[in-house]
Amino acid sequence: MARLETRGRLAAAMAMLALAQPAAAEPPAVPPTPAPAATAEYQLYQPQDADERGLWMTVDEAERSLRNSPSVIRDPALNAYVRGVLCKTVGADRCRNVRLYIVRTPQFNATMAPNGMMEVWSGLLLRTQNEAQLAAVLGHEYTHFEKRHTVKLFRDIKAKTDAASFLSLIPYAGIAGLAMVSSVFGFSRDMEREADTGGLAKMADAGYDTREAATVWERLREEMDATAVARNTKSRKDKNGGLFATHPPSAERVENLRAAAAANPGVAGANDAEAYRHALAPLWPAFVDDQLKLNDFGASEYLLTSLASAGWTPALLYARGELYRRRALPGDLEKAVGFYGEAVAAGGTMPELWRGRGMALQKLGQADAGRADLREYLRRAPSAPDKPMIAMLAGEGS
Amino acid sequence: MRKLHISIAAATLLGLSATPAMAGWKVVPHGMATAVAKSTLRVTPGEDWNQSSVRPVKQSEVWTLDGDSLNQLYFVSGLAAGGTLLRDSNKKSRPLPKMNGAMQLADIPEFFESSWRLGLNTSLFEMGAIEPTKLDGHDAVRFAYQYTVQGEMLTRKGIAVGTVVKGQLYLINFVAPSTYYFDRDRSKAQAIFDSARL
Repeated sequence: MARLETRGRLAAAMAMLALAQPAAAEPPAVPPTPAPAATAEYQLYQPQDADERGLWMTVDEAERSLRNSPSVIRDPALNAYVRGVLCKTVGADRCRNVRLYIVRTPQFNATMAPNGMMEVWSGLLLRTQNEAQLAAVLGHEYTHFEKRHTVKLFRDIKAKTDAASFLSLIPYAGIAGLAMVSSVFGFSRDMEREADTGGLAKMADAGYDTREAATVWERLREEMDATAVARNTKSRKDKNGGLFATHPPSAERVENLRAAAAANPGVAGANDAEAYRHALAPLWPAFVDDQLKLNDFGASEYLLTSLASAGWTPALLYARGELYRRRALPGDLEKAVGFYGEAVAAGGTMPELWRGRGMALQKLGQADAGRADLREYLRRAPSAPDKPMIAMLAGEGS
Repeated sequence: MRKLHISIAAATLLGLSATPAMAGWKVVPHGMATAVAKSTLRVTPGEDWNQSSVRPVKQSEVWTLDGDSLNQLYFVSGLAAGGTLLRDSNKKSRPLPKMNGAMQLADIPEFFESSWRLGLNTSLFEMGAIEPTKLDGHDAVRFAYQYTVQGEMLTRKGIAVGTVVKGQLYLINFVAPSTYYFDRDRSKAQAIFDSARL
C-alpha cells in the first residue's frame, strides 16, 4: 500500500471517484462491452476546458492499461447483464457515455472516472444481493460522473498545489491504486450526498425499490461488525479514515438514504433478485473462493449466510466447510465435516467435497474415514493437480 | 519518485514488505554450504546468488540472481505457531493468516496461497500441481503456482517446497516472471531445494 500513499492526493483525485468498501482489493481474453457510438439524438459528453481535457488524457492512459489487464473479467454474459442494469438505471442514452470493466478483486468497490471508464469489482457483485442494490451503486457512480465531481475535485486540489508537481505524477495515476482514492476525499462529502441522492432518483425512475440503496450500506456495516467479532477487535464501521474517508458507510448515510427512499419509493418490492441470482450464479464459486482466501472469517461467514438466504446449496455448504476447515479452531473441523456432509446429502457432486471432508476427518483422528473420502475425491477427480499429494494422504502411494 | 519504484517491485516480497528501497546486497558464493535466515537451514547454491539485507519476516531471507523482480528465492526457516509467512504490514485491515502448530503438509499450499493473495493484493493467483517430496529426508510438499498482480500484465510463476518439523515451518520458494526467467532459472532453484539441510 505504500505505493498508493506516495502517489499523493492529487494523483488520486485525478484517478477516479470510488465507492468505498469495508475491510481491506482479479480470468482473462474478450474486450469489455464497448459503448455504442453516439446517436444524432444524444451527443456523448466531451471535456469542456483545458483542465478537463488534461484530466481525461490521464485517465485515458489508465484505461488503456485496464483494457488489457488480466484482472478484467471478460465473461460476455456477466458484462451484458451488468451493463443492462446500468443502462436501465441511467437510461440508454446516458449509458453510451460509459465503458464498463468488471474487475476481479474481492473487495467492495465501484469507481467512475471522468472520461466514462467505470469499474465494478467482483467483491461488490458478491455483496449486493439483488439488481436494485447493484442499480443503487451504479446510479451513485454515474451521478459522480454526470456532475463532473472529479473535475471539481481536481480543480480544488490544483488551486492549492503546484501544477508542476501533479504533472510528474500523472503517469502513475493509473487504475491499480484504488486505495489511493482514500487520501483525497476529506472534502467531498457534499458530492457523496449528491451522488446518493442522484443515484436514488435514477433507481426510482428505473422502477426499482429505492429502499435497497440503504440496505447496501447497512449490510456493509453488518459485515464490518462480523469481521470485528471474529477477530475480537473493534468494528471499523464508523471509522472515517482509510478507504472510508469519503464514502463512510455511516449510520447517518443509511438514515439519509432511508429518508430519501421514503420520499421517492420507486416501485415497492421491485428488486429483481431472481434475475440477479441467475446472472451471478456461474461466477459465484470463483468470487466466493477469492473471499475465503482473504483470511476474514467473520465477513466470509456473513456473506455465505446471506447468499444462503434462499437456502443452503451444495456449493455454499462446501464453501462453509472450507471456511471452517481452514480456520481450524477447536470445534471448527467437526463443523466443517458436518457442512461437507450436508452438501453431499443435498446432492452435491463436486469432488472437493470429499477432499475437504477427508482432510478434516484425518485431522480429527478418523484416519480410515478420512482416507476413504480422499480416495473418493481421487476417483471423482482423476486428473486433479493435487492428486499425488492426496494419494499419499489417502495411503495409495503415488 | 524513489518510492514509486517500490510500487513497481510490489509484485515481489521486498516490495510488499514495505521496507526501504535501498536494500543492501551481498554475494552468496557458489559451491559452499550457506546458512540462511540466521538458522540451521543450509543450502549449497550452484552459482553465485545475491542475498538481500531485507527480511520480510524475522525467520526469512531473500536471494536473487539478477534482481528481486526477475528471480527470487525466499527462504523461511523455523516459522513457529502464530508467525506469518510475510510481513504482516497491514494487519488492521488485512491481517495475514498465521502459522498453526497443527499444520500438516497439505495445509502448506493453502497457507501460502492465502498469504500471497493478501500480501500481493491479488485474486489472480492459481495453484498448480501439489505433490509429496522430501526436504533433507523429511516428508515435504512441493507445489507450483502462478499469479498476476492487479494493474500488471506480467504473470509470475513459482515453485516451492515446504515441510513442518516439530511444529515449525520450513519453506523455500522460487518465483520469476513466466517470460524467460522462470524457465531459465527453475533448475537452479530446484538444485538449491535439493541441497537443503535442516
